[in-house]
Amino acid sequence: MKGKRLLLGLMMTASAAASAWAQEAKDITVVLDEEVDLVEPCMATRSNIGRIILQNVSETLTELDVRNNKGLMPRLAESWEEASPGTWRFHLRKDAKFSDGSSFDAGDVKHSIERAMSDKISCESPRYFGDTKLETKVVDDNTVDITATPAQPILPLLMTLVTIVPAETPIEFTREPVGTGPYKLTEWKAGQSITLTRRDDYWGSAPEVTKATYVFRADPSVRAAMVAAGEADIAPLISELDANDAEMDFSYPNSETFYMRLDHSIPPLNDKRVRQALNMALDRDAFIGTLLPKGAIKATAIVPPTTLGWNPDVKVAPYDPEGAKKLLAEAKADGVPVETPIAIVGRTNNFPNVVEVLEAAQQMFEEVGFKTKLQMYEVAEFEKQYSKPYPENRGPLLVAAQHDNARGDPVFSMYFKYDSNGRQSGIANPDVDKMIAEATAATGEKRAADWKKLIAYLHDDVVADVLLFHMVGYARVNPRIDFTPTIATNSQLQLSEIRIK
Amino acid sequence: MMRRIVSSFFSLVALVVMVFFLSRLTGDPAALFLPIDATQEMLDQFRELHGLNDPLIQQFGRYVLDVLQLDFGDSIRKARPAIDVVLESFTWTLQLALITIALVTALAITIGSVAAFRPGGLFDRFVSLVSLIGASAPDFWIAIVGIVVFSITLGWVPTSGTGTVWHWILPVAVLFIRPFGLILQVVRGSMMTAFGSAYVKTARAKGVGNRSIIFVHTLRNAMLPVITVIGDQAAAMLNGAVVVETIFGFPGVGKLMIDSILQRDFNVILAAIMVTALAIFVMNLLIDIAYTLLDPRLRT
Repeated sequence: MKGKRLLLGLMMTASAAASAWAQEAKDITVVLDEEVDLVEPCMATRSNIGRIILQNVSETLTELDVRNNKGLMPRLAESWEEASPGTWRFHLRKDAKFSDGSSFDAGDVKHSIERAMSDKISCESPRYFGDTKLETKVVDDNTVDITATPAQPILPLLMTLVTIVPAETPIEFTREPVGTGPYKLTEWKAGQSITLTRRDDYWGSAPEVTKATYVFRADPSVRAAMVAAGEADIAPLISELDANDAEMDFSYPNSETFYMRLDHSIPPLNDKRVRQALNMALDRDAFIGTLLPKGAIKATAIVPPTTLGWNPDVKVAPYDPEGAKKLLAEAKADGVPVETPIAIVGRTNNFPNVVEVLEAAQQMFEEVGFKTKLQMYEVAEFEKQYSKPYPENRGPLLVAAQHDNARGDPVFSMYFKYDSNGRQSGIANPDVDKMIAEATAATGEKRAADWKKLIAYLHDDVVADVLLFHMVGYARVNPRIDFTPTIATNSQLQLSEIRIK
Repeated sequence: MMRRIVSSFFSLVALVVMVFFLSRLTGDPAALFLPIDATQEMLDQFRELHGLNDPLIQQFGRYVLDVLQLDFGDSIRKARPAIDVVLESFTWTLQLALITIALVTALAITIGSVAAFRPGGLFDRFVSLVSLIGASAPDFWIAIVGIVVFSITLGWVPTSGTGTVWHWILPVAVLFIRPFGLILQVVRGSMMTAFGSAYVKTARAKGVGNRSIIFVHTLRNAMLPVITVIGDQAAAMLNGAVVVETIFGFPGVGKLMIDSILQRDFNVILAAIMVTALAIFVMNLLIDIAYTLLDPRLRT
C-alpha cells in the first residue's frame, strides 16, 4: 500500500513537472530539422535561417506574398519606381527603428547591399543576382537609388532577398543580428535553442506571439512527437509516415520540383524521340499516394504553379508504353544507339523514398526497352554530376534532382537550368538562350507571356528533361495555435502570421 | 606509465596527420557550404577566404603551426573558433557519459555480484535475461519506444532537449541499457570465478558472512576485468553517443563530429578528434591508476 502511494505520488510529481515544459500562453516553440549554425541576416535565403530571421528579426525592402496572391508588397520600402533605365528608386519608411535603437535610413540600405555583395564574406544573397552588379546611391535619408548593370527589371522582387542591417554592421558574419523586424534575438544557446522576443518599439502592428523559441531535432519522429506532447507548436518538416493525425498535420507545396536532367549532348539522349520515350514510359499517377504523398502534382515546368508565367496549357506526357516502344524502334532504325546503358544518378536522402521512386522509374524505363543503372550518391559526389564542369568521358545520364523556387519568378531557375552557359543546364540551344534573355529583360504582362512561351517550348518542342512532380512537405501544428503552412513555409515562418486560439 | 604517455603522444601526432589528410580527401567544403548553384566566382572567392586554394602541404604546415599554439582555426559553418564549438559540445557529452557510467558501474556491480552469489537461481536467471536483452537492443528503437511510452502516452518526461533534470532521464536511460547489460555479465562471470576460488572457501570455512565475502574478499579481485570493460564503454561514450544525441537533441560531440564530417568543416573535425583523443588518453591513465590501486603487483 505504501509502495503504491509512493508510486502515485511520483507520477503526480512527474505530471506536475510535465506542465513545466508545456508552453506559456503567448509563447511558442518551433522545432526545426537541423541546428542553425548562423543567424546572419545575409544568409536568410537558407531555409532554416530564413525561418528564424526573415521578416521576424531582419526585414527586406519588399516582400512577396504567395499566401494571398497579392504579389510584391511594400515592407521597409513604401513605394518604388524605375527612375531611369536600370535604376530603381525606393522610397523608404520613415518610422522604422533597429532593435539597437538606431533609426533606419537610406545609408543602412546602401551598406546592407554592399555588405551582402562583398567578396570578403560568403553571403547567400548574391547567388540570386548572377552576374548583375549593383550600385547604390543615397538620394536623401528616405530615398535610395539602386542601379543594376545589366538592367534588372525585377530588381524590386530581388530586394525581397536582401535583409537590411544597420550601417555599423561589420563585414564579417555577425552572431548578433540587428534588424528592424517585430522581434529581436534575445538568447542563443549554441546547439540547443534560439529565442526571439517581441519588440515594443516595432514600426508595424504588434504581433500576437510574444516569444518564440527555436529548437533543433534531427529525427522527424521526435519533431512530430514534440508537437503531439505539447512541447512544441510548429514542426515545419515532418515525414509523411509521421503525418498521421488529421487534426494537427498539414501538407503543403514545398516549392520543390523533382525532375531528371537529361544531357542532350550525349547519345542516345541527343535524340528527341528518345527523350519523348523516357517521358512516355513513366506512369506518373502510380507514384502519387503510394511512394509519394497524395498532394504531389505532376510537373510541366521546373517551377511550381505559383510562379509568374506558369503555363496551364502545357500538358504532361501521357503514360504510353507502347508509344514509347514505337519511338525507340524508330530511333533505333535511324542508327540511334538506344541500347546504350543510361545511368540514373540520384542523391541519397534527397526526400523520403527517393531510392524507391527511382527504382520504380528504372523499372518503367526498362519495360519499354531502355537499359539503365541506378547510382545513388551523397550530396557532394552528386554535385559533381549535377553542376558544370561535368565529368569528362561520361556516358548518358539522367540526373534526378529537386529544384526549389518559391521566389515567384522563373528567372531564378531558367538561366541555371536551361541556358547554354547555365551551370546545371543539360541543353545548349540558341533559341532557348534568346528566350531566357528576353523574358529576363521583360516587365509586366510581357514578362509573364515570355516565360509562358519558354515553358511550353522547353516542354513540348525541346523536350528538355523528364519533369516529374511538384513535391509536398508535411508540417505538424499544435491545435492551440492558428497557423496554416503554405509554400512560403519552405523558406520563412513569419511569427506575425500566427494567432493563439 | 611514462612509456605509455610517450607512446600516446606519438599516437596523437599520427592521428593529427592522418585526420588532416583524410578529411581533405573527402572533397571541397565550398561545394557544400555554398548553394548548389553557386557561380565559379563565388566558389573561388570562398576557397580564397578559407585558405583552401593553397597547396595541401602549405595548408598542413600552417595547421601544425596553429595547433602548436592551440589555435584550431574557425568553424566554416558556425563562424566561430572551432575549439570553442568542440569544447561546448564535449561538455555535454562528458556530463552524459559520467552520469551514465557512474550509474552503470554502481548498479551493474551490485546486481551482478548478488546474481553471481547463487548462479542458476531465480534472480540470476532473471538478471541474465535482462542483461542479454539490454546488451542487444538497438539504441534507436529503445529511444523511440521510450519517447512514445513515457513522453507522449504517459507524459512523465519530455521527449527531448536539455532544459531540466527531467530532460536527462530518457537519454541516460537509453545510453545506460547496453553497457549495463555488458558490464553486468562481466561482473557476474568474474564474481562466479572468484566465489569458486580457494581463498573464498577458506573464508567461508572461517565463518565469514556473505556480505563480507562479496564486498571485502571477492570484489577487489574480481574487478580487474570489469574495469577494462568499463574503460572501453566509457571511451566509446566520450567519443559521443551519436544516436542518443541525435534523437534527444543533445548538442554532444558525437553528433558534432558526424555533422562536421558531412559538412566538411575541417577545423571542427580536427579539434573534435584532438579533444576526444585527449579525453580518452586521460581516461586510460585513470584506469591504469585504478589497476595499480587494486592490484599492488602492477606497481612497478
